[in-house]
Amino acid sequence: MSAPIALRGWSLWRARLFATPLDSAISIAVLLGLGVILQPLLIWAIANASWSGSTRADCSPGGACWVFIKARFGQFMYGFYPEPERWRPNLFGALVLTWGLAVLMRGTPRRGLIALVGVIVLPFLGLWLLYGGFGLREIETRQWGGLMLTLVLTYYAALIALPLAVILALGRRSRLPFLRLLSIIFIEFWRGVPILTVIFLASLLLPLIMPSGVGVDRLARAIIGLGLVIAAYMAEAFRGGLQAVPGGQAEASAALGLGHWRTTAFIILPQATRIALPALTNETIALLKNTSLVLVVSIFDLLGIAQAALADPTWVGFQVEAYVFAGAIYWVLCWALSALGLLLEARMAEGRERT
Amino acid sequence: MLALWRDRRVRDILSQVGVGLILVGLTVWFVLNASANLRQAGIASGFDFLGRTSGIEVAFVLTDYTARSSIYDLLVVGVVNTIVVSLLSIVAATLLGFLIGLARLSRHWLIATVAGVYVEIVRNIPLLVFVFFMYGGVLAALPGPRDSFIFFGISALNNRGFTIPVPVDGALMRLALLAVTLSIAAHVVLALVSKKRRDATGQGLPMGVIGAVLLVLFPLGALSFATLMSTWDIPQLRGFNFRGGFVLVPEFVALFLALVTYTAGFIAEIVRGGIASVPKGQLEAARALGLSPMTTLRLVTVPLALRVIVPPMTSQYLNVLKNSSFGAAIAYPEVVSLFMGSALVATGQAVEIIAITLAIYLAIGLAVSAFMNWYNARVALVTR
Repeated sequence: MSAPIALRGWSLWRARLFATPLDSAISIAVLLGLGVILQPLLIWAIANASWSGSTRADCSPGGACWVFIKARFGQFMYGFYPEPERWRPNLFGALVLTWGLAVLMRGTPRRGLIALVGVIVLPFLGLWLLYGGFGLREIETRQWGGLMLTLVLTYYAALIALPLAVILALGRRSRLPFLRLLSIIFIEFWRGVPILTVIFLASLLLPLIMPSGVGVDRLARAIIGLGLVIAAYMAEAFRGGLQAVPGGQAEASAALGLGHWRTTAFIILPQATRIALPALTNETIALLKNTSLVLVVSIFDLLGIAQAALADPTWVGFQVEAYVFAGAIYWVLCWALSALGLLLEARMAEGRERT
Repeated sequence: MLALWRDRRVRDILSQVGVGLILVGLTVWFVLNASANLRQAGIASGFDFLGRTSGIEVAFVLTDYTARSSIYDLLVVGVVNTIVVSLLSIVAATLLGFLIGLARLSRHWLIATVAGVYVEIVRNIPLLVFVFFMYGGVLAALPGPRDSFIFFGISALNNRGFTIPVPVDGALMRLALLAVTLSIAAHVVLALVSKKRRDATGQGLPMGVIGAVLLVLFPLGALSFATLMSTWDIPQLRGFNFRGGFVLVPEFVALFLALVTYTAGFIAEIVRGGIASVPKGQLEAARALGLSPMTTLRLVTVPLALRVIVPPMTSQYLNVLKNSSFGAAIAYPEVVSLFMGSALVATGQAVEIIAITLAIYLAIGLAVSAFMNWYNARVALVTR
């Protein structure tokens, strides 16, 4: 058999769409169907859409009213965070991005140290920048919102979930029966109930089980709830990774004189993380998507602020615009996360190929 | 002392006792705080509140619940609504998911690409966006009752929901459904008997004919008989709205559509992965043995693919059950919005209500897992 010929241009499309009469018929039917669906959609979203102006009077009927999104853009991004202070979330976002790029770039000197310092310092720096105090104006979490809040929820919930997940996964594979049982109960409980109920539960029960007078911030309750659930799911991802590390690795490490904890930290966990990475990426994406549920306890993340904006009597009836806009942003974020996951996977695979 | 700590058994026991003590301590502290807080708020704990009259109106009821019924009956309404929307969504999402999954594997480039685009879009957007979009963007944008979309002259879709005909007296219909269930059960039993006989003697029962009768002819006959013999309450436009029939409220339709579009994307990926995992050699061997394409599909591809598909499909089905709680965001009266929402506000019994709701989800989840594990054990690889 001869090697397949690389097709280009028209011949490629002919092979894809019109190879046989049946293929041609299917292609034409599908294209017609797409046309019927997409044409009104494109006319609505682009051709007939209104882009400029500032009130609903500037919007023509029969097309999308992107003016609504434009007028509310600040809110969609920051919620009710006061405008003169919005440099603070911006700065924090820029810091996290710079740190991430520095850690990812090969040429950065002392990458390990930078990574470690960032993991420890950035969360506290972020709290200070966002909430204020110590010289900055205090901004109640009630005023946080929009895309910024979605990212804050994801970041801090993941920060709670990852270490907890490692502990749970190790616990589930522990030699000690009591620890194993506890880990199993914890994991299966949180995986068995809807995240929505967990957010309700956290917002109702956390203040109840604290001594009276000790308040737990509403946003903190949601983050703790999300963190606990995602930890259970991530623990299962880590467990898969732990199970896939060959037993010889631990034995070799023991033979070299490393104790139990050093073997776990320096031999087993790095390899398990590499194997678990695709699953962990998926769980992080699930976390990002599930942050939208906080609107049931009146925290206005990206979707919540869109929902709130629709209640404004001067902008009634632009549901589709709001949801399409929010959906598009979520899509880009999830896509970026999965791209990051693929990049990390490729990076971690390099070390393996060298051997 | 130090020597004792070096003994592994002693260390194991001590560390576990330590963790246990910390947990017990924390729990006691939490419970003490909670009871103090509850006393302060004047809320008596206990499950007596379940017998109280609820006084809550519900828009979508499949039991004989009214506002004068008890809180317990309200809970039942919520559970029934959760199960109904989950079951219907699971069936529809499985069908759509299989279609899209197969389309992704199509040799035809355009079909595979369109299916791929669908999956990529759907999986990267939160379910809640779909729920709101279907509710606020699609259902609310439908015309009013006077300009409803009429299907076959008997059901109407408008911005007040989807009105469908119902039998005036459901007894005959229920009887027919029972008969169909029995005939399917009979088919399962006969298939097992046939397999046993074929394994023993090489000659099984004529399952083709039996299947045609028990799975197609008899159910069709029974259902059409019941349909024709019952009196139907068909929705009719009277003035500004439809009278008669049963109204599937917009919340139900929106939640159903959202669950189906979203879950189908995930099921499609599972199906695609399962079928792609069938080794090519198996298909070539089947062709070498002279099996026809349909027989190959039935005896080789499907059994091998099912092995890969069943476990992740179980978790998808459980996800649908859990995700039906998203209905609370648009006030579809399922268990979270009725019980954790309305009943909790009415009674203030937060701890008990949360415990009951979570227990219900865990119980249904365990039951589904047990069933799917049993099924999985049947299709799993048996090595000799």
